[in-house]
Amino acid sequence: MTQDVEMKEQQVPAAPSNSTSSTTPLLQHLKEIAALIETGAYAREVRRILRAVRLTIALRRKLKASVISSFLGFALTPGSEAHQRLSSYLPKDDQNDMEVDTTSSATQSIMKHSPELEIYCYLLVLIFLIDQKKYSEAKACSSASIARLKNLNRRTVDVLASRLYFFYSLSYELTGDLSEIRGNLLALHRVATLRHDELGQETLLNLLLRNYLHYNLYDQAEKLRSKAPRFEAHSNQQFCRYLFYLGKIRTIQLEYTDAKESLLQAARKAPVAALGFRVQCNKWAVIVRLLLGEIPERTVFMQKGMEKALRPYFELTNAVRIGDLELFKTIAEKFSTTFSSDGTNNLIVRLRHNVIRTGLRNISISYSRISLADVAKKLRLDSSNPVADAESIVSKAIRDGAIDATLDHGNGWMVSKETGDIYSTNEPQQAFNSRIAFCLNMHNEAVRALRFPPNSHKEKESAEKRRERQQQEQELAKHIAEEDDDDDF
Amino acid sequence: MDPKLTEVSQIFERLKAALLRNDFDTASRLLSQLKILLIEFKSLPPLFAETPNAIQELTLARDIYEHAVVLSVKMEDQDAFERDFFQLKPYYTDVGGRLPQSAQEYPILGLNLLRLLVQNRIAEFHTELELLSAKALENPCIKHAVELEQSFMEGAYNRVLTARQTVPHETYVYFMDLLARTVRDEIAGCSEKAYESLRVEDARQILLLSSDQELFDYIKEEHPEWEVKNGWLVFNKVKESSASSKEIPSLQLINQTLSYARELERIV
Repeated sequence: MTQDVEMKEQQVPAAPSNSTSSTTPLLQHLKEIAALIETGAYAREVRRILRAVRLTIALRRKLKASVISSFLGFALTPGSEAHQRLSSYLPKDDQNDMEVDTTSSATQSIMKHSPELEIYCYLLVLIFLIDQKKYSEAKACSSASIARLKNLNRRTVDVLASRLYFFYSLSYELTGDLSEIRGNLLALHRVATLRHDELGQETLLNLLLRNYLHYNLYDQAEKLRSKAPRFEAHSNQQFCRYLFYLGKIRTIQLEYTDAKESLLQAARKAPVAALGFRVQCNKWAVIVRLLLGEIPERTVFMQKGMEKALRPYFELTNAVRIGDLELFKTIAEKFSTTFSSDGTNNLIVRLRHNVIRTGLRNISISYSRISLADVAKKLRLDSSNPVADAESIVSKAIRDGAIDATLDHGNGWMVSKETGDIYSTNEPQQAFNSRIAFCLNMHNEAVRALRFPPNSHKEKESAEKRRERQQQEQELAKHIAEEDDDDDF
Repeated sequence: MDPKLTEVSQIFERLKAALLRNDFDTASRLLSQLKILLIEFKSLPPLFAETPNAIQELTLARDIYEHAVVLSVKMEDQDAFERDFFQLKPYYTDVGGRLPQSAQEYPILGLNLLRLLVQNRIAEFHTELELLSAKALENPCIKHAVELEQSFMEGAYNRVLTARQTVPHETYVYFMDLLARTVRDEIAGCSEKAYESLRVEDARQILLLSSDQELFDYIKEEHPEWEVKNGWLVFNKVKESSASSKEIPSLQLINQTLSYARELERIV
């Protein structure tokens, strides 16, 4: 269930290939999911509801109006307020089909439906509407569902609610009215915090960040982010998004080291299927690394499915690597539409400074002494007084530690110092340490991320299974013992 | 017309007149009066109530705050500038669509960028920059500030100083003067690292001072460790870390190695 918005925009919604013959098994599927939700709600097992949502997403492309309306007839009491409202959102083109279904299923739905099931129906209809690109109906439907949710305070609803929030925001984003719901989202976030609904808080915080960043309101986003309560992430997807937004904010605020870490982590943690999201992460990560003075490896740009999208960034990297201002300028102009649609234009303007630095470093390495006029010529500084410009640029580079050199004003040249043997310093030791720390950290995080289904230790395993497990454990123990023996020699 | 609105616009006219006369005391007195009166309008931020006079009220309030910003620059009060600017900002961002664009918008936004630059709040500078549209970035007032920041980052300090002659708006001069001071400190910091010694007249030129006396005063005040010897300015560089780098940081190494051992123990 990878639902990154970037992904979704590329998806082709529901292929209309399924004939009516497949409606029945689909309806059956939905009914099974409904049963899952009912038992989940009854036993207060959030896990089951989570699974129901996952199954629904798998069915997403097959959904049809007729199936949904007959499912609504099954799940909700016909004639009830929710049923009427939800049915009104569905298109009425296949009237006959629908009526047959509702009459047949109406008899079965005498059982009282739980609020979870009602919310689930909202979710189902909403997903269908968005996939059918009926955005104005989706907006109305999502707003109605949010209004309904406000009156429910059950932990078992939280999972469904968090999905609803997501689609609520998405339907407004698709119609370009994201700023309208900001107040609502903030109110929902407050309510979720009061109810200790952590999944809801997580989702809503991300939606709010997305909302702010959509309008480039980095200041507000950062203020909200730094003050909102944080806790262990519940959902990997939400955590990835959070990291991505965090990385963006930090990039804008010039905290490149932290930004790089967040963006790379987001790209790594994102599921493989979320290609659009990973491309975005990579684009930002590339720029941040360039701003840090690093040159991303070629493999970054050659990742499967990303070559084309990352092409402008690849050429940009090349220009920075060579340190050629002219090339940099032409590339920035050539791809300016791409960069401005990615929102990275301002960052690229910042890169100019790095291009000069790289060029300067190359000069400093190649020449032991060079006149400032030549430096200006090589850097292609086009200004009224290139020598004075070059002098102050070089002196700043020296101050910032980018190059190791001294200036001689009287003669107008720059003298590079001999580069010392790096192995005589503590540098290798530090690099070694940071790598080991990274590996250990990765291991610890992996251990912490292990999850066990709740109550698994209570469930009785069958005799056969136990035998199998014991056998495996014995083998493992034997294996380890052998290894220990080997070590002794 | 609403009587309250009339009252406000009358006081505002007097404020404008006071500003023209450069009578700052009267102006700031009138301004605080106006601010109190503005609170009573429901259509202004943060309420944004839809009153019949909303557009008029909003436009008037925006004009008033724009003048407040200009006044604070003229009085050379940076804190007041920040306060007034933040009060003004919602009129550009939140109700920008409802009002006709103000002619003062870009100059004031550029002025704010310049202020952030002078106060060396670069992160906020970039945050503000992100809010501007491509069209705004083309505006000479904003472009001026953006180019300044670039030259400043690159180290092309003389470009920063020549920009003073091409200010797009008379209110910019105050901040440009402040910027010149910041630039001098930067240059001093860079020269200290980049040169071993300089002739006094060169140093004077590089630091953009007009006389030797000024240079000596500057040295005395900011960099007492610099020495002046027979017409040469010698930067006494701290011979950094030549001895310390030879030494092995044993304590740190022991700590690191122990932590590796501990972590390994946990894994195995």
